[in-house]
Amino acid sequence: MKFKQLWFLTALLLFTFMLSAQQRKIAFEEYDLKNGLHVILHQDNSTPVVAVTVTYHVGSKNERADRTGFAHFMEHLMFEGSENIPRGEYFKIVQNAGGQVNAYTSQDKTHYYELLPSNQLELALWMESERMLHLVIDSVGVETQRSVVKEERSQSYDNRPYGSIIEEVFKHAYTKHPFNWLPIGSVQYIDQAQLKEFQDFHKTYYVPNNAVLVIAGDIDVKATRKLIEKYFADIPKGKAELYRPQIVEPPLQGEIRDIVYDNIQLPAVIQAYRIPEKGHPDSYALEMLTNILSGGESSRMYKAIVDDAQKGLAVFSFPFPLADPGLYLVFGIANMGVEAGDLERAIDEQIKIVINEGISEREFQKTKNMQEASFITSNARMSSIADNLAEYHIFYGDAGLINTEIDRYMKVTRDDLNRVAKQYLREDNRVVLHYLPKSQ
Amino acid sequence: MTMKKIFFTILAISIFSAAYAQIDRSKMPEPGPAPQIKIGEARSFTLDNGLRVFVVENSKVPRVTYSLVFDYDPVFDKEMAGLTDITGGILRTATANRTKEMIDEEIDFIGASMSVYAGGLYASGLSKYTSTLAELIADVIINARFEEEHFNRVKTQTLSGLMAGKNEPSSVAARVNNVLLYGNNHPYGLNITEKSLENITLESCERFYNTYYKPEITYMAVVGDVKFDEIKKIVENYFGKWERGLVPKHSYPTPMPPKGVRVAVVDRPNAVQSVIRVGYPVDLKPGAEDIISARVMNSILGGGTSRLFNNLRETHGFTYGAYSSLSSGKLVGSFVANTDVRTIATDSAVNEILFEIRRMQNELVPLNELNLFKNEMNGNFALSLEDPQTIANFALNIARYDLPADYYTTYLQRLSAINENDILKAANKYLMPNNVNILVVGNASEIAEGLKRFSSTGKILYFDEDGNEYDPAKKLKAAPEGMNADEVIGAYINAIGGEKNLKGIKDVSISAISEIQGMSLNIDTYLKAPDKYRMEMGSGGTIFSKQIFDGTKGTVTSPMGEQPIEGELLEDLKFQSVMNIELYYDKYNIKRELKGIETVGEKEAYKVEITYPTSKTETQYFDVETGLRIKLISENGVTEIADYREVSKVKFPFSIKQTSGPQSFDMKVLSVKVNSKLKDDLFKVN
Repeated sequence: MKFKQLWFLTALLLFTFMLSAQQRKIAFEEYDLKNGLHVILHQDNSTPVVAVTVTYHVGSKNERADRTGFAHFMEHLMFEGSENIPRGEYFKIVQNAGGQVNAYTSQDKTHYYELLPSNQLELALWMESERMLHLVIDSVGVETQRSVVKEERSQSYDNRPYGSIIEEVFKHAYTKHPFNWLPIGSVQYIDQAQLKEFQDFHKTYYVPNNAVLVIAGDIDVKATRKLIEKYFADIPKGKAELYRPQIVEPPLQGEIRDIVYDNIQLPAVIQAYRIPEKGHPDSYALEMLTNILSGGESSRMYKAIVDDAQKGLAVFSFPFPLADPGLYLVFGIANMGVEAGDLERAIDEQIKIVINEGISEREFQKTKNMQEASFITSNARMSSIADNLAEYHIFYGDAGLINTEIDRYMKVTRDDLNRVAKQYLREDNRVVLHYLPKSQ
Repeated sequence: MTMKKIFFTILAISIFSAAYAQIDRSKMPEPGPAPQIKIGEARSFTLDNGLRVFVVENSKVPRVTYSLVFDYDPVFDKEMAGLTDITGGILRTATANRTKEMIDEEIDFIGASMSVYAGGLYASGLSKYTSTLAELIADVIINARFEEEHFNRVKTQTLSGLMAGKNEPSSVAARVNNVLLYGNNHPYGLNITEKSLENITLESCERFYNTYYKPEITYMAVVGDVKFDEIKKIVENYFGKWERGLVPKHSYPTPMPPKGVRVAVVDRPNAVQSVIRVGYPVDLKPGAEDIISARVMNSILGGGTSRLFNNLRETHGFTYGAYSSLSSGKLVGSFVANTDVRTIATDSAVNEILFEIRRMQNELVPLNELNLFKNEMNGNFALSLEDPQTIANFALNIARYDLPADYYTTYLQRLSAINENDILKAANKYLMPNNVNILVVGNASEIAEGLKRFSSTGKILYFDEDGNEYDPAKKLKAAPEGMNADEVIGAYINAIGGEKNLKGIKDVSISAISEIQGMSLNIDTYLKAPDKYRMEMGSGGTIFSKQIFDGTKGTVTSPMGEQPIEGELLEDLKFQSVMNIELYYDKYNIKRELKGIETVGEKEAYKVEITYPTSKTETQYFDVETGLRIKLISENGVTEIADYREVSKVKFPFSIKQTSGPQSFDMKVLSVKVNSKLKDDLFKVN
């Protein structure tokens, strides 16, 4: 009787899911300009808003080990000005147009975006094409941004409690691959670099054949295509060879442990397990495992470690999605008076239980539901739709995944979750860091 | 065929020409015709019990969000400040039908989220769970159950947050600014403190919940891929049984700006940055006639890349950012300019803030500058409409603040009509550079002098982290988060040699000397583990008095003869006789509590209060830097301890100064001997 009910419920859920998935398909069209610029357009006229994004397929992993921080530094320079946009005007122009502008740099890509009232579409195209074609990189801009980036580094990494965690984790987890450093890079290399090196970096990577232009929102596709032609068609294709590292990081060969002393009050434990690259079937299973381990207050780690034993103030885990094999991070902050080792044992215990006993059918259903909700939520805004379309095109070779990637999650089985836990969450496949307060 | 070909050629040419038409890149493109802003509709209904509900249908994404606002008047209860927050914090934990575990599980299972706080609730999920989510919300709000376990946890978390906040200059500034802006007699001026938190009981939370969480003061907005009729049915079904109650009304005198310029400092001796807040309460109600010009005025002064930002960051490089806010409120609003600057730039930064405020009042704003901000606000209004929640908020505001129904549909018109004179008028009405509180959280010894020139009285007021004014001569500050009495005592034990070495001590003989009125006094003390004690005082070979404790009995011998020590005195002596009692506080049921950090002489010291089972207390001070005990206050007086020297791997103080009332007793230790195999006979009590 019970079994039947459950089966019925599951079938019902599946059915309603298929209905809702069909309900809302994100339509888009895509094409290439002659110079190699890939264009993706999504029309949605429900609100007079347009998101214009340019994603360059360059991140910190394309940097030389003695020139780290270049891609992120370039992000700063891209706001400095172009031949036709005077220095310092970039932000003001967008502000005056009633819009928002920003950018981010990851290990794999750099993403620039404007969100504007839709009658300002042409403005955004002009601005993005200007920085691709005409970016001015001079010593004034470089000097200014050198000091700004230093401030950024000291604020966000060096002087923030636990701010160096991700950097330390990657430093310990990679020895050969450029994931060894973070996009923020080292101040010393930015200081050492010559002006010409920045100019060359721009000339190499910030070219139409290494970029994806995505426009989402209140547009007319035909008119938009014309405007794109107008501003981007005459930007020459890049000639320099694009460096795409093919470095394979060897397996860890056993657990790596270290202690970091930081200006913190409460100790923290960080475990980083090596996992496959994003898009790999196991990466979907790992993401779904995360929900069971630490997604929400009913999750295993939250319930056992935060709620019941009260050993941790917070515990969470998440896969760090990267284009090359990446990391699965587990992060916990100890409660007052709890030692790092004690917290780590509690974390290990939860992982062990998943490995030894697997997960229940209800948990499996829960993680599927959570995945579905987060998939739908991730496409709620024009700016995120644009970001996702570019991401799927560049790293998965299929922008259509914006509608179908959920199927890959739904293919994951209960056994898969147990298997990936066994396969990846092993002691000899991890880096463990203890963050301890600097002695008083 | 030909037709097709010709068509193709034309198409090709047009593409060709479009691609290679000479474009003038030097010209910024003109915007297209302004898009029509359509503000979605919110429909509403009211349940019989008074619950007002607003529904915004938007099928773009198959999601639903519920937001509830509990619109009760702020409650003023000084003794229990924080009661509303704690109550809000426990609300989601248990109901008459569900345990916390069940609630967590049910929310997570459908991939939804729900958070409850003192003033409201927010929940979101996929729209196929619209009804499930409504049922859960109703259960949490209507049938809340108050359990000790969750109450304690919320209290502990609040306490941790409070402690952590005391280390965070910006949160210290926020707390003290509340007090400065609204005063001690207004609910907005109340901060949670350790003490008020202690006063809050589970019963008081339950009482508060039963009194204030009622449908007639609650607004609910439901937004997303839903249908009005469906929501009406669902809400009636789950919230219809929510019972009315008479929610008490409260009113308070409106806080006024200070009479002149008040300068307040929260001292953080090690700070390298100063957190600056310049502000005062403002009588600005939501929907006020000139509120849009007031907002544009504030944007020009301190919203985003504005005058304060350009002056303090771009021109002077004092800071990473400088902003101001002008907020409206049903009871009272506020103006606050804020920035964090390098310590050395503190008074210059305050000066520039006041300069920019006055400039707003004295000069007409240039048209291009005005338009920049109007355009930005115009655009942001349009962008905000992408989120259907905005429409719900509009409807809620109209209802809560009694705004005209077309308030938001005419917003852009009113914005566009604003001119330079409106800005000048708003600046003179809402900016009050001569009636401000200047609050600085920073290193007082470096900044106080420079700030005096701004103060109307020429004086600086000092406040602690809770917003209590104090005399800077006597000051206690909070210990860092995570530090507790046992950590301090542990550090002390390590500083004097560590547990192992201390436990290695079987006996100690200390010989000391003191000068009293020209006469030298010998004090010899003997201790034997675990708890034997003997002290002799004398001069020139004559013993005046001696005290002995053998582990159970004690005697004192004076020129008046030998007497047993009994009662309270014996209890005291018992503890005094234990060798290194710091190692055995738990065993002897001695409580210890870290009170904070105080300055002792030149040094910062942890202040630890020791409470003996006899309920006698003793305050001990431990040097923050070295961990060593440097001072002790008991009912017998003050003891200052210094000149630690190592003997057999353990540090002993060689200078002990005791002050009792007007008398002072200065003891110099001549020698310390460890493990000289003292005989039990030495500690014999007849």
